[in-house]
Amino acid sequence: MLEPLSQFLRELGFVLLEYRGQGVFAMLSPAPAWLTEVWGISQGNDVEEIALSGKSPFLENFLLEADTFWNSNNKGLCESETWIEKSRSGREIPLEAIALQSQGKRLLAIHSPEPQFQERVQLLQTARNSLLDHERLQREIQKKEILLHCIIHDLSQPLSVMSAAFDCMTDEHVSDRGKGLLELGRKAGEQQLMMIRDILQVFSEDLKASLEAENKAESGANLLSCAKSVLNAFSPVYAAKSVRLLLDDRIDQDGQWPVRGEATRIERIFSNLLENALRYTPPSSKVTIGLVADGEFVRAYVDDEGPGLPSDLSQSQIFALFSKGNKGGGKAGLGLYFCRLTVERWGGTIGCESLPQKGSRFWFRLPRFKPQPATSLRTSEPVAAKSSRGALAPKRYPMRILLADDQSEIRMLTTHQLERSGHHVVAVANGQEAIDVLQHESFDVVLLDEDMPVMSGLQALQVIREHQKPSGPTVVIALTGYNSEPDRERLLRAGFDSVIGKPFRLDALDALVRGSSTTDLPPVEAEEAAPSLKTPVASLLDRVGGDEKLAHKMIATFLRDTPQRLSGIQKALGQKNGQNLASLAHALKGSVGIFGAHVARDCCQKLQDLGRANNFSEIPAVYDQLKEEIAQLEANLRGYAGRKLSPSPGASPKNKRRSSKL
Amino acid sequence: MIQKKICMLGSFAVGKTSLVRRFVESIFSETYHTTVGVKIDKKIVRIDGAEINLVLWDLYGDDDFQKIRWSYFQGSSGYLLVADGTRRATIDKAIELEERARKEIGAVPFVFVVNKCDLVDDWEFDPEMDARLAAKNWTVLRSSAKTGQGVDEAFSQLTRKIVG
Repeated sequence: MLEPLSQFLRELGFVLLEYRGQGVFAMLSPAPAWLTEVWGISQGNDVEEIALSGKSPFLENFLLEADTFWNSNNKGLCESETWIEKSRSGREIPLEAIALQSQGKRLLAIHSPEPQFQERVQLLQTARNSLLDHERLQREIQKKEILLHCIIHDLSQPLSVMSAAFDCMTDEHVSDRGKGLLELGRKAGEQQLMMIRDILQVFSEDLKASLEAENKAESGANLLSCAKSVLNAFSPVYAAKSVRLLLDDRIDQDGQWPVRGEATRIERIFSNLLENALRYTPPSSKVTIGLVADGEFVRAYVDDEGPGLPSDLSQSQIFALFSKGNKGGGKAGLGLYFCRLTVERWGGTIGCESLPQKGSRFWFRLPRFKPQPATSLRTSEPVAAKSSRGALAPKRYPMRILLADDQSEIRMLTTHQLERSGHHVVAVANGQEAIDVLQHESFDVVLLDEDMPVMSGLQALQVIREHQKPSGPTVVIALTGYNSEPDRERLLRAGFDSVIGKPFRLDALDALVRGSSTTDLPPVEAEEAAPSLKTPVASLLDRVGGDEKLAHKMIATFLRDTPQRLSGIQKALGQKNGQNLASLAHALKGSVGIFGAHVARDCCQKLQDLGRANNFSEIPAVYDQLKEEIAQLEANLRGYAGRKLSPSPGASPKNKRRSSKL
Repeated sequence: MIQKKICMLGSFAVGKTSLVRRFVESIFSETYHTTVGVKIDKKIVRIDGAEINLVLWDLYGDDDFQKIRWSYFQGSSGYLLVADGTRRATIDKAIELEERARKEIGAVPFVFVVNKCDLVDDWEFDPEMDARLAAKNWTVLRSSAKTGQGVDEAFSQLTRKIVG
């Protein structure tokens, strides 16, 4: 070899060898320093051939590859990865080998790529450290979100009950000392609520990245691009498991697929669904990603050819926190849970179903992206309850209200409060039950707890909105444990007419519900535990805070609606329709309760009970008694309706006239 | 003396190099140094009175930056499949790598080592996963390169599997 070229190779750290067979090489260039350090070979006059056999397991392994290359007569190069040899002094020296052919000679170049190697190590070290940091952050965020969930549900829910109980007890006839104690308890509850909100605020600061991502949702994302991006990322993993990953060929590739949401998080949703599909789908099968237009929404789905959904798990269990497949396929039980949280935050829904042939479909749908006007729903003012419309759809009073909440205490207290305000309330334990009831009865207002088993409030809302009549949309109010302003906005965007955060004051809920009526409504009614000694009008004025105008309106409403209710009860009795009878009696009970008409109210209660029990033998007698009581009440109210009421019922001489019944 | 080639296989930062260093040199470093390329070490073990020279191929972790070259497994008698018990993703990665290994090099003896068992608070390898892998007839061991727990046992069990 030419002397300058030899020196050049040596300076670059290369040694050029020609393979002679049997592990023996002829040295074609001078030995670089590393060759001496690692294998003790230095080129002297007497060193022309070197035996590398047994000196390096890695090189021996590479020579097998090189031999195949040399025998193939392929052009080009066959390169090894970097390997590390230790020098005699213990220093680690990176080496790389290249096999090539030239003029029929089998050549091998070995070199030490320092310092490029050190730069590469540094680069990879930084990249992998970043990945580890990212993983750690993800875990921390997940932990915090779980903790957040626990704070909201484990601490706020009992507080909700306590707060409501204190409110109710304040209305009872308790001593001044008792009232003081109740106020003390109520204030302590409010203080605890503030502390919980403070903690949530801290989390909000900590989860800045999440919130930023939330804000990016305002700009929308292309669902098809997200699907393609994730498909590309997952293809190798799927290929490794011999599972085909496809885009459904029915997707309109030229179509517009903008949805509300942020691309990175949508890709995370797809990723979770694909990971889930891969976990259960068998080798040599396929998983398909599809998109379809769905009215104001776009629906995405992931179909697999696995065993289908487990029969013993409901949809809500599948998407619940820490839910894992029965076969142990899932990881931490967080993936699908976060899919649900994320989708619902953007006003979407998520679900799954077994496919008719085989496999399962996991789907989610998101609202089509429409740029928000500058005056968005966002506001910095803390509010106890918020409506997207200000004035909700006009309805009658008292109203028919459907309440769905999985907490029996909340159901009981909320129903109690609303009924005391004269409303007719049907309370159920989850969204599915609410849908079932709505198929047979109509309501003026539906109150849906956001987080319920079987079917969540959001899922129920979607069903209600899909089936509502254009002429009379139902007013749907969300009850939620997520009390932040973004959560309220999220629920309003999802289609709720109004939102009230839990724990809530019952009077706030009542005020909100009453805000959905066109007529002026009574304020919170005092508890009628003991028979009132006041006249009906005095009782009414007590409840409306002396507002005579309102009292007149309420009397007029009562006198107008009651005959219809009574005839409805009579009709139900004739038809032996116990449920209808119970429902109508329930509604009338609330109305007469406003006037302190305890006997009439008790009759209504009896009718309600008998109707529910389909016990028609005793109903006629109770109904007759109710008619008499109502007739007296109506006569009493008509007497007052024609003249001005005294401004202070408590001071009125009429109040001294006592009626055992009214 | 019998010589057996063993490869270390797993995701990045699971502790493959640390396991080898603990096994060969009884050394552990808290600092994470990523492996670039291949390092080869040797250690003689005694199994049932017979000395066996283990040639340990410490391969870089498989990730988006460096993909495993299955040609390295040529002539290997078995491999130690390593995951980090505090990172569930590495356990899934190990399952994926085992499937790929079976496809590329056939049914070669291996032992699954869930490393970093000293980090109890962050442990994510639950009994459910244990049962799932046991159902696959995998040999699953917990190890800590930091404390040395389970390290010799892992190599020893693999060697026994290899020499049969």
